[in-house]
Parts: sequence; structure tokens; C-alpha cells
Amino acid sequence: MKILRFAAVGVAATLALAACSSSPSTPEPSGTDAASPTQSETEAPAPEGAEITLWLAGGDTPDELREYLKTTFAEQNPGSTLVIEQQEWGDLVTALTTALPDAANTPDVVEIGNTQSPTFTTVGAFRDLSPLYDELGGDKLLQSFVEVGTVDGKKYALPYYFGSRYMFYRPDIWSAAGVEVPGTLGEFTEAVAKLRTNDMSGFAMGGQDWRNGISWVFAHGGELATAEGTTWTSTLSDPKTIAGLEAWQEVYQKASNLPATDRDVAYWEFLNDGTDGAAPPAATIMAPGWARWSIGDLTTNDAGDEVRDGMADESKFDIFALPGVDGGIAPVFAGGSNIAISAQSQNPELAENLLRIIFSEEYQTLLGQNGLGPAHSDYVSALGDDKFARTMIDTAAGSKLTPAAPGWAAIEGALVYEDLFQKIAEGGDVTALAAEYDAILTPMLNGQTS
Amino acid sequence: MTATLARATAPPTAPRRRRRPTRRQGVAYLLLAPAVAVLAIGLGYPVWWQVTSSFKEFGLAQQFGQPAPWVGLDNYVRIFTSDALWAVVLRSIAFCLFNAFVTVAIGVGLALLMRAAGRWARLALQVAMLLAWAMPMVAAVTVFKWLFDWRTGVVNWLFVRAGVVEMHEHHWLASPLSFFLVASLVIIWMSVPFVALSVYAGLMQVPEEVREAARIDGASATQQFWHVTVPMIRPVLAIVLLLQIIWDLRVFGQIRLLQDGGAPVGDTNLLGNFIFELGIGRQDFAGAAAVSIFVLALTALVSWPYVRALIKELDR
Repeated sequence: MKILRFAAVGVAATLALAACSSSPSTPEPSGTDAASPTQSETEAPAPEGAEITLWLAGGDTPDELREYLKTTFAEQNPGSTLVIEQQEWGDLVTALTTALPDAANTPDVVEIGNTQSPTFTTVGAFRDLSPLYDELGGDKLLQSFVEVGTVDGKKYALPYYFGSRYMFYRPDIWSAAGVEVPGTLGEFTEAVAKLRTNDMSGFAMGGQDWRNGISWVFAHGGELATAEGTTWTSTLSDPKTIAGLEAWQEVYQKASNLPATDRDVAYWEFLNDGTDGAAPPAATIMAPGWARWSIGDLTTNDAGDEVRDGMADESKFDIFALPGVDGGIAPVFAGGSNIAISAQSQNPELAENLLRIIFSEEYQTLLGQNGLGPAHSDYVSALGDDKFARTMIDTAAGSKLTPAAPGWAAIEGALVYEDLFQKIAEGGDVTALAAEYDAILTPMLNGQTS
Repeated sequence: MTATLARATAPPTAPRRRRRPTRRQGVAYLLLAPAVAVLAIGLGYPVWWQVTSSFKEFGLAQQFGQPAPWVGLDNYVRIFTSDALWAVVLRSIAFCLFNAFVTVAIGVGLALLMRAAGRWARLALQVAMLLAWAMPMVAAVTVFKWLFDWRTGVVNWLFVRAGVVEMHEHHWLASPLSFFLVASLVIIWMSVPFVALSVYAGLMQVPEEVREAARIDGASATQQFWHVTVPMIRPVLAIVLLLQIIWDLRVFGQIRLLQDGGAPVGDTNLLGNFIFELGIGRQDFAGAAAVSIFVLALTALVSWPYVRALIKELDR
């Protein structure tokens, strides 16, 4: 018994280690049970009393919109129900990888990061939505997002909402230091370098934060990768890309106090005053538009909780779009999501009905009113016309996406750009690093394993 | 864990069992059958999957239904010819041995302290260690992350207060060496209680008369420890050291959580994180399976001397 029990402990320990690799057969625990497949085995068009599941990513879609979807779906599809499950962004690709191939457990409709779409569209994980495309809005849908979800002319993933990023800053600190809102990217670097002190970043930017950093590449006319036919090539060594990376290196080194290893930083916390009105840790940040609601002076909401006032005091908190190299607006990395139907969905008709609701005027307007960019261009005006809405629409108009390459999710998963940007932030030679990482990235872009 | 603890604290010299009649043995096998079946299904099936997929081409396309062709040893060749793996292997082994030995050393020290301390002091120490042992891993790592936070962490603050102004906003997790220092602190802090309590139980088995006899013969405290105590608690020491080595070799969550706070990921990956990055990050399931098999072999290799010793003891 003694030896057996010990052996059991040993084996368990050993295998727990081996299990780290997540054998592909292991199903990912994904919250609750998905739709039960038994109810839909009859293959009737719009089965009675079925339940479909929608996976939303993160908390980006507000509760009000979720309720709207559930009620409207139940009204329009009597007897059927919509279940909404929230997946977290960090685990989304993993959860989709394990759940989508499994007909018994697949969610029917999924939200997916725009840049993650190609990884799944190219392996046939999604249902072809081409027949539905014109009905849902056709050419009026945000085209850069449509393209990222298209393979061989077939549309597998459509835009859900778009976001954008711009600069949030402290006008009080800027004017005290005698600097003005910049007109060009060079002036921006100068301004934030001047603002930097030992205790305050002129511009807070983590060294691994390539999602904000690639705006400098785009602003210089550079690209991360280009495709010829279906073959992708990493183009970091392109002179324009190098110019962008060097400009980013300069602004990081001159203006940011953040570690070169920082990535997902809650920048908005850096812009608020410290405890007891102490100076903030940063004078400028770059963030998505919804960061507004985490910035401002403290106030009390109806429920009695302490919250930020959403930048009510314009003399203390304001925004501007990142300027381009020669003025105007720099193209930034477009935020946002796509939406798709699982190829294994047991209720594709109901899933398509849900898409009809999502692309309806009512829901698109709700998206806009909640600060999420509507996918359908007719309803973008729902965002409003205050400075936040205008800046978001202006920056989104020029924004760019990362390459729609099959291996893109693997590159994100392996944190390759994080490594590259960290090394640049640490003062590495950009030209040498670009050549080194081009060699790593080109096979990965094409979905080849090292 | 309770089973392990009970196992480790059992008297090192259990009475030898006498052979029972064959009829009784049949019943014993019958009683063992369900446990073996559960092991075979629960552990055997995943391992079988692991082994077979390590010989196939298995990526995202295969996960979505494409055929997975056999590729023989291709995955192993690909993995073992990359420098990345060997750097991770060496780093993991060094990290594991360092932490295992330091943990056992501190644990033995605390056990001796407990034996020497008065009743209330010992009780306080034991409660404190049980609380540390009971702390969930994620909570422990989060607290350590806060302690070492570059901007608001209390460690930097204390350094600055003590006059070391260079530590103002020092980035602990940014360089691999200080990253592993923080990681070691978390891991050692979390595993010392188990070692200390096990060894303390072992120390209780050392008869007072033997130590008294050694004292009368003029042995110093150091001599008593090395020549009387250590040989008598050797079985306990061997088990806790082996368990620490196995546990520290499969460290994953602590490193992953610390990396999430911003760290040079490529330079701080240990084996578990490397496998995770390959399988989950890059969707290279076959490559990840191949590395897992390698780690399985490595763990078996490390624990083999102990298992052999145990079998010998049983045969005696």
C-alpha cells in the first residue's frame, strides 16, 4: 500500500506537469452548458424551442444591449431563447479553439477580436455568411473589418463594432509647462519629452505595448507585413517601418517612465490625480475612447459609489487625436470586434436571425449611443457629435488593422511583437532587430510552426 | 495533499508486513481494481493522446477536422534542435534545484526552531505556517506583485526610506534575474510550511534518549544534528526534497501571473510556460505534446533514484 500510494502521488504529480500542454482533446471549461444538441437533430428550418448561445468578449457590450438582444430574440423567435456567455479577452482564442470544433458544445454566434478573425476563418471554423451579406448591410458595413473576415471572396466574419484610440491629456499641466497641443508627430515628441519629470511621464507608454506603438509605424507610412497572393512577408525592415519604430523608440525613451516590460497597462489611472490631490503619474496617455469613464475627478453616483466624473472639468482633462508626421491625424491601430457563426452550430437559422437583430437599425443605434462604433455606416451618427464622438470618428476613419494573416493569433499568443518592442524600448538597434524579427515573423504569418 | 502529508509523517520504520495467504491477495487485487481503472481512464487516456499527437502533425487546422498525418519524430527533431528549448530546460532545472534546496534548508531550520521553542511560540509558528500554506496561489502571487510593484510597492518604498534612493521606481520584474528572485520568494514562501511541518513530525520520532546519549558522549549541537538527527530523519528529508523538486520543476502559474504584470517573457519562461506558449499561444499542439513527453521523461529520471531506493527497502 505504501509504495502504491506513493506511486500514485508521483504519477499524479508527473502527469499534472504533462497536462500543462493541454492536449487538444481536453475540453475547455466554458462556463455553462451550451445548447443541447438533441433538440435540433431534426434539421427543421428554425427548430421550435431551441436555445442558442452567443459568446461576447469581455465587458465591452453593456448590459442594456445584452438585455435588448435577449428580449428581441425571444419575441421574434417564439419558443427559442438566447443565452449570452461572456468570455474574457485573454482566454478567447483558447476557448474558441477548444469549443468551436465540438458540435455538442460550440457557441452558435461568437464575437472575436478583428485581428483574431483570420486565424479561424482560414481553418473553416465559421459558417459562410455571403448569402446574408447584402441583407445585413452589404457595402455599407465597415469594409476593413469585412476584409479581415473574408477568405477567397467568402465572408465568414462581419464587423460587430469599431473603436479607436486617441490621446488623453492634462491641459493644466501642459499649460503650466508652457507646451501646446501639437500639430505634428515631431512636435508631440518634443512636447511630451519636455513634460517628463522623475515622478511623471510626459507620455505614459509601456515598452511592450505594440498595439499603441504601431501607430508610429502607420504614421510613417510603414506596414507590419504585406501579402502577395496568399504568401505573407514581414516588412519590419522596410525603411518606412524602421523610421516609425525609431520615432516610437525616441518618444518612449524621452517621455515615458514606465518599464520596458510593461504591456497591458491601465493608463487611465496614470492621468488621474494621486491621493489627496497629488500630481498624476503622467501628463498624457493613449487609450480607447471608453477610457473616458475611468478618468476625471472623483464624484458620487446615484448608488452612492465613488466614481470618476468622465472628464467633466475641461481645464484639467481633455483629448486630441495623435497628429500625423506632416500634420493631420496619424493612422492608429483600429480597435473593435467581428462577429461570426460557428460552422458547427446546430441552429444556424436561429443564429442568422440573431445576426439580423444585431445589424438592425435599433441595435446599431444602441451601439452608437453606448460609445461603440456601429458597423453599419448609416448609423455612425448615433455616436453623437460631442468632441469624444468626433475624435473617435475622425481617428477611426484613418485607422488601420494588423495583417489578416492566418498565423496572426499565434503571433499574438507567442508575444512576438511584445518581445520586439521591449527590445526597441530598451534602446536596441532598430535595423538589426527588424531583420532578426522579420526572419521569425514571416514563417509564423503563414501559419508555419517555427 | 492530506494523503501526502499523512504519508510523509508516517513513522519512517513501519513494521514489515507478513505475506498473506493467496486467497486474501485475490481480494486485495479485486479491491484495487476500481482505483486502477480510474487511473487508467483518467490518466492513461490523456497520456495516450499526448504520445500519439506528439508523432503527428497537429495544429489549428487539425483541431478543426483536417486529417493529422503521422510525421514520426519530426516534432521531436524540430523542438530539440531549437536553442529556445535548451535554454528553457537549463533555466528550469537550475530554478527547480535552487528553490527545492533552499526550501528544504529553511524548512529544516524552522522545524528545529519549533522543537526548541516553547509551547506558545511553537503554536504561533505552526498557525502562521498553516495560514501561509493555505493561501491560494493566485492570491499569494498577487500580494507579492503588489509588494514589488515598481511605482506603489512597499519594497521600493522601504529601500528609499532606508536611504537607497536608486531603488526609487525600480523595475523588479523587468530583468530576468530579479524576476526569478521575486518568483523564488513566492514559491519558497509558499512551500516552506509543508517542509517545516513534515520535518518537524519527523523530528518528533527521534527518541530523546538517543540525543541525550549523544550529549553525554560530548557531541556538540552541530554534531548531534549531522550525526544523529539527520540520519534518523533521512527518509522524511528524501521525500520532501523529491516532492519539492517535482513541484518546482512544474511551476507554471506563479511565473505566468508574474509575467502578466509585464516581464521579458521569452527570457523568463520555464518548461510549463514554454509548453503553454507552444500549445495555447502558437496552437502548435504537436510540438507542445513532444515537449510534454520530454518533461515526463525528465521527471521520471529525477525521481527514479528515490523510487529504486524505496523498492529496495521494501524487498529487504
